[in-house]
Amino acid sequence: MDTIKKIPKRHTRNSTSEALAAYICLIPAFIGLIFLTYLPLLGVLGISLSNWTGLTSPQFIGIDNYIKLFTTDPYIKDSILATIYFSFLAVAGSMIYSLFIAFLLNRKIPARGFFRAVFYVPFVLPAVAIYVGWSWLYEANFGFFNFVLSEMGLKKVLFIADSNFVVPSLAIIAVWLSGNLIVIFLAGLQNVPVVYHEAAEMDGANGWRRFWHITLPNITPIIFYNMLMSLIANLQVVTPALVLTNGGPGNSSRFLTYLMYDQAFVNNRLGYAGATTFLIFAIIAAFTAVLFMTSNRWIFYEGGDEK
Amino acid sequence: MIESTRARFGAYETYGKLKSKKRNERTMNLLTIVVVIFFAFLVLIPIWWIFRTSLMTNAEIYKYPPSLLPNNWLFSNYEKTLKVFKYWKYLWNTMVIIVPSCLAGTFTATLCGYAFARLRFRGKKLIWTLVIGSMLLPSMVTLIPLYIAWTRGLGLHDSYLPLILPYFCGGGAFNIFLIRQFILTIPKELDQAATIDGAGYFRILFSIIIPAIKPAMIVVALFIFIFLWNDLLQQMVYINSSDKFTIALGLTNFRGQLKSDWSMTMAATCLSFAPGVIFYLIGQKYFVEGITMTGLKN
Repeated sequence: MDTIKKIPKRHTRNSTSEALAAYICLIPAFIGLIFLTYLPLLGVLGISLSNWTGLTSPQFIGIDNYIKLFTTDPYIKDSILATIYFSFLAVAGSMIYSLFIAFLLNRKIPARGFFRAVFYVPFVLPAVAIYVGWSWLYEANFGFFNFVLSEMGLKKVLFIADSNFVVPSLAIIAVWLSGNLIVIFLAGLQNVPVVYHEAAEMDGANGWRRFWHITLPNITPIIFYNMLMSLIANLQVVTPALVLTNGGPGNSSRFLTYLMYDQAFVNNRLGYAGATTFLIFAIIAAFTAVLFMTSNRWIFYEGGDEK
Repeated sequence: MIESTRARFGAYETYGKLKSKKRNERTMNLLTIVVVIFFAFLVLIPIWWIFRTSLMTNAEIYKYPPSLLPNNWLFSNYEKTLKVFKYWKYLWNTMVIIVPSCLAGTFTATLCGYAFARLRFRGKKLIWTLVIGSMLLPSMVTLIPLYIAWTRGLGLHDSYLPLILPYFCGGGAFNIFLIRQFILTIPKELDQAATIDGAGYFRILFSIIIPAIKPAMIVVALFIFIFLWNDLLQQMVYINSSDKFTIALGLTNFRGQLKSDWSMTMAATCLSFAPGVIFYLIGQKYFVEGITMTGLKN
């Protein structure tokens, strides 16, 4: 009895030392949150209000950069459209593909672990090497895809060298890379209680109806999570433009982050690039907000306790 | 147990569908396997195509129709490539960035995760909200201000430090989150027993928590590895001189120089694939576990 009484006392006596231990543990995170996250976020707002080139000292010019960005910038419209177009194709494509594959792998098939590993492989390869490799597959005359097309009796396509095809071609690579989503979905599918399926089967529900009314509602939280992460990542797309296209042909793959890179580090217009950064931030925040706002309507929480 | 199984089968039989259902299931499973194999093939064929090109002569590459296998496996392409593509140097440089980042990131993420999972302190909720908030913040937003701070403020030009030092600051919100979730699954009684034995908070962390969350720590290290492995933008921004190039920078540059020599370019590509594949084969179990955790513990 004595010891039991003593424990709570020890806790109260030690609560300052407990807090001290916690703050010591959190020192790295404090530094990170302040200096690497939230101060830079304010900083980019400040920079965007200046005409800094990195060479001369910055001058405050108000919202001039934003006005220029929206009225005279030759790239911004194409850039926004290309980014949204790419993100839409990449997110929709990878969600459908990964859910479909996960659904297949969730059935009782042999060598499931092996197949899961196969679908995951593209995710562990370095991005630059993937784009370089795929540029050969997309090659105009001797590339793999043009070989397949000509075997099928279709005309050759220039893929990443054609302004109409470059964004879909890059989105296909993004879908191919989404093996990590398959693994997350698969884990979610395996968590759907078997009893639901058994009960529905007893009631005579067929496979499709069981998928629609049991499986899908149960994994909506995971669909939401995957969609959110995939959206944030794809709206920041930049590597394929840096490695392969340099924004071209024309401006067809001049994605926003690439545009920002070009303004800041090629043309040394740091202030102007700050305004572009803030625009990208606003676009990503808007998409994220829409996703969150609609989430209540389609996310199913078990037990009905909606958050 | 047997009773209930029998009852269930009984129920099926009253439907009178057991046999047709079984047959149905078998055809469905067969169909599933066929579709899965088809897609697995689609996923692997680009990698195979890249690999087989790396072993061919340029004449063979441009042959029509192309063959799926090289005539004679020209591993000498790799020797040729290694003379131009400074692979070992790039790999070493990449590791100079990745190894300290992985170690520091994993360790500081563990410290923070422990504080959030186990310790009570003032302002916990607020700080946790800030951590989660930074998870949703796109990383490109901070690129320009951080670039200015590192290069102008601290004078770190052409240096790896701007790429490494951020990992000494918690290793990223996502990883802190992951560690915290994992610690929450460990029974609290273990720490309480240690407290009664007189162990302090750090003693508990090092002798109870860390041994128990080793798998999660390996996952965090792998995630940091993958992230840095895939990064190009930041490396392009911070590194200028070619003898400091990483694999990502080296390969981008190499492709620019040798646009038409596809067999050498593909050999360089395959060389760049190799470390990722090797790490994956070693850590495959943890990868799958970790990714599973990220999806479910949200």
